[in-house]
Amino acid sequence: MIEALRLAIEAEPYSLAQPVHQANLLVGLNELTAHHYDTCAAYRRIVNGAWGGRTRFERVEDVPYLPVSLFKTQKLQSVPDEEVRVTLTSSGTTGQAVSRIFLNKDASAMQQRALANSLMHVLGKQRLPMLVIDTDAVFKDPRMMSARGAGVLGIMRYGRNHAFALNRDLKPNFDAVRAFLKEVGGQPFFMFGFTFMVWINFYEQFRNEGLDLSKGVLIHSGGWKKMIECSVDNVSFRKALKDAFGLVRIHNFYGMVEQIGTIFLEGAGGVMFPPNFADVIIRDPITWRPAPLGQPGVVQVLSLLPHSYPGHSLLTEDLGVIEAMEQGHRSVDGWMGKGLKILGRVPKAELRGCSDVISAVA
Amino acid sequence: MNTIWAPEKQMIDDAALLARVSAMTYAGREPGAQPLVGMLAAISRAILADPRARLASQYIALGYWLRPSALQQLRDDLVKQTNDSGALLAPRGVALHLPPTNVDTIFVYSWALSVLAGNANVVRLAEKLTADTEWLVSLIACVVAEHGEDERQLFCSYPYGDAFEQRISRQCDLRMIWGGDAKVETVSRTAIRPDGLSIGFPDRKSLSLIGVDSYARADEKARDELATQLYNDTYWFDQMGCGSPRLVVWIGEKSDTLSDDLYARLGKAVAAKKIAVETGVAIGKMALANDLLAEGVADRLRFFSNELVVVDIVDPVVGLERTHGGGFLGEYTVADIADIANFTTRKVQTLGHFGFSSEELKRLARAISGRGGYRIVPIGQALQFDVTWDGMELFVHMTRRITIWETSWKQAALLQTPVS
Repeated sequence: MIEALRLAIEAEPYSLAQPVHQANLLVGLNELTAHHYDTCAAYRRIVNGAWGGRTRFERVEDVPYLPVSLFKTQKLQSVPDEEVRVTLTSSGTTGQAVSRIFLNKDASAMQQRALANSLMHVLGKQRLPMLVIDTDAVFKDPRMMSARGAGVLGIMRYGRNHAFALNRDLKPNFDAVRAFLKEVGGQPFFMFGFTFMVWINFYEQFRNEGLDLSKGVLIHSGGWKKMIECSVDNVSFRKALKDAFGLVRIHNFYGMVEQIGTIFLEGAGGVMFPPNFADVIIRDPITWRPAPLGQPGVVQVLSLLPHSYPGHSLLTEDLGVIEAMEQGHRSVDGWMGKGLKILGRVPKAELRGCSDVISAVA
Repeated sequence: MNTIWAPEKQMIDDAALLARVSAMTYAGREPGAQPLVGMLAAISRAILADPRARLASQYIALGYWLRPSALQQLRDDLVKQTNDSGALLAPRGVALHLPPTNVDTIFVYSWALSVLAGNANVVRLAEKLTADTEWLVSLIACVVAEHGEDERQLFCSYPYGDAFEQRISRQCDLRMIWGGDAKVETVSRTAIRPDGLSIGFPDRKSLSLIGVDSYARADEKARDELATQLYNDTYWFDQMGCGSPRLVVWIGEKSDTLSDDLYARLGKAVAAKKIAVETGVAIGKMALANDLLAEGVADRLRFFSNELVVVDIVDPVVGLERTHGGGFLGEYTVADIADIANFTTRKVQTLGHFGFSSEELKRLARAISGRGGYRIVPIGQALQFDVTWDGMELFVHMTRRITIWETSWKQAALLQTPVS
């Protein structure tokens, strides 16, 4: 583990103010750029061909970035094949290319520790009883095993005494939820699920059941595309859960398999904050320079976690905006750094013969 | 459900559409007949008179290509084919045109030549058309109806891949398939008439060749003019046409100074036209450039702007296969113009050129002969349609010849004898 990552993880989660955060990040990113340059031939060819072969930079924004789709088209790893312990793949519909991420033993342990560090900030140091907003078949049944199953399994290690809110057909399991709440007996507990399932399979099914979830901490993720189809945004999502269940401690997070272990967690004001060992840059989609606070653009994510593959600086296909900076204070609920809001995906573009004609008409 | 332009767009069921096509079997006309020339000239006038055409250069180019003097030249080329042989030129019969979706004027070129050749034509258009293509089809269908040619010239749309497509195809003497390799392959599985001719115009890729010495000697004005021409070749049809250059090849000694100079001028031409690609396209280009670098197919990326991305290609055969469109160019350097043959495959179509003598161009043609590469044209004319396409004389395929052997002298004597 590089020193900069150790320093970031050892600090109180989400606590580093920008100047310290940036300085530490730059040291770590330079080190990782040089490391991947030395150990991954494909990455070296990219840095030579597109970035002038440099591996040391004065500013975080100057560090080379890879388009995230490269993990779908190339095998990018910085460790020998025989060291690879886990190969992660992204979710994708049949026939679509999926990302492949290679972790060795150290990288795998590191990402678990880093994720624990982030989650601890909202869950506390003790492992809490956990209500999973999914079915256990999602990881028990090999036919259903998917990125979703891997995600559920990955987060489950941060809770205990797991109960599952849904049956294998994703219909509500009222008995299991009631039994769980009875056993918890008014103590804090942890809930996790994918955003659209929390809404469709949990909220809409349980909303009239009179459940008291006021002691719960809900962590959810998974994109808003389906939610936008149901016309639900983060504000109405939070309000509905509060009104129906008294649930107020809700944290959305933004993360991707290509930076496994790095989560931007929703804090004060409904925006998401990078952990101490990561950062986000919003890039103007024309100049590709960092956009000022409040200006939407393409999301670039940076993280000190990727040691076994060159994923420490990635240009995503998501649109976002930095809405807040250093909003919190260094207290228990403090959130330092950039407050990110995800606005959706960069629209898929298809080149046809006449789009220049269309723009001329418009 | 099928649609037909008659001349306004309307639904038509399988039986009615098939009946219309069946009725066309013997509807062919004399190749080059003046009323046909007149109808195409009227289309040219209608396009050029429509303010909508002014917005896009490909429509102006089409209107210009169909102007009366050009049509007369085409007609002369057509009819002179049989001048010396004494054979009679006849239409092939019913022609089915399957135009591509990426270049929305191709259907007119393909159809217009076949009209001149005297054929009855079925143009099968995509089920979803852009507003501009809709406009163009309606315009043509109206002129066709005004000229009373609507029984012979059919613009329609029907789904691919079912029994109906087979029944339509069975009526056709000629099928022109424009589009990707997969489309040509799929469509080709459906039989046309047993004596029919099916021609595929599949994916092709094109190059621009620039003489290093000539460019070095060119003055500011000539360089700007070249950049404008290269802009036209590259950015019309979003660089998705068969003739759109994908690779710029410098011939001579590699010079970054000259290459940077050219792209700066090209970038200016792009900026002046105010074209802008979508963010998704820009990211796609970035991703492809990174892929090519990662794989060692390219070794340098110059990201001039979202609209102009240039990669230095190491392997030109792979570089020509892995293209993007929307302003993505590979760059390569060879010492001699004949070296182009080393990576000219069947997939190569147009070789645009700047700064070569006619001897050098002939040497190039001899070098690529038998490989690929069917058009050697000045940069700026890469997308200009021609009666010789992909190496084929289209009129030859669009017509038949009725050979006439005159009787021997003995029979001639018999013919003059009264029967009774």
